[in-house]
Amino acid sequence: MLYDTTQLALHRAIEGAGARHEALASNLANANTPGYQRVDVDFHTALSAALGNGGDRRAAVVGASIGAQADRTAVMRADGSSVDIDAESAKLAANALEQQAAVQVARTRTAILQAAMGTGG
Amino acid sequence: MGLFNGLEISATGLTAERLRMDVTAENLANAQTTRGANGGPYRRKEVVLEQAAGGGGGFGAQLTAAMGPRGGSRPGGVQVAAVAEDQTAPRMVYDPGHPDADARGYVAMPNVDSVTEMVDLISSSRAYEANVTAMEAAKQMFSKTLELLR
Repeated sequence: MLYDTTQLALHRAIEGAGARHEALASNLANANTPGYQRVDVDFHTALSAALGNGGDRRAAVVGASIGAQADRTAVMRADGSSVDIDAESAKLAANALEQQAAVQVARTRTAILQAAMGTGG
Repeated sequence: MGLFNGLEISATGLTAERLRMDVTAENLANAQTTRGANGGPYRRKEVVLEQAAGGGGGFGAQLTAAMGPRGGSRPGGVQVAAVAEDQTAPRMVYDPGHPDADARGYVAMPNVDSVTEMVDLISSSRAYEANVTAMEAAKQMFSKTLELLR
């Protein structure tokens, strides 16, 4: 096994941040759609549950669900839409930074692996 | 391929907000038009937006489907359902000298309120900017992911 569980979890986190970006971009695209319910991807909870799993953590991380879910807790506006354009923009910016941080960590870990193999890095 | 889809979603938002701006501009331009397309005064137009279904065709969607369900749905952005006419009554203005005045001297003016139009214009222009920001974030995320290959 070339990649350990942490590396797999990082890859899933990058994938999750990509899915979350889609969801938040969709919320922003629907900022003026009456009756629209905002969606979000809670990949943090899914991944932390998978990593805290007592059994096969590797399989749990690979199988963790990171799909978009409707956010039923969000406060509704007068037109029935639950999109707050400022809150969505803030979440989007934070998510982009988080994705870039995860990519940076994954890169550094790959570089360590490459150095150990003596193939540069 | 999440991020390309993210760009597409933001693009649907840009298209929708730009159409809203166009329609608002048309309303403002015709705020004093007494001879509209259907004979009477110009009627205010409004864009009806609806949520677009996720997924779609393309290689990315097929690949995601083939890789099995990851739980939840795929967001799809926004689409224009219709450009509808505002059916509120025209504004009656007393102007006996106007060529389109009725027997009592009243002219039926368009049901366009310039303040409402300006508010709509600001709201669509802000939403447009938010979609552009989302696109820029997607670009940054994508180029950062490409660094993994170096």
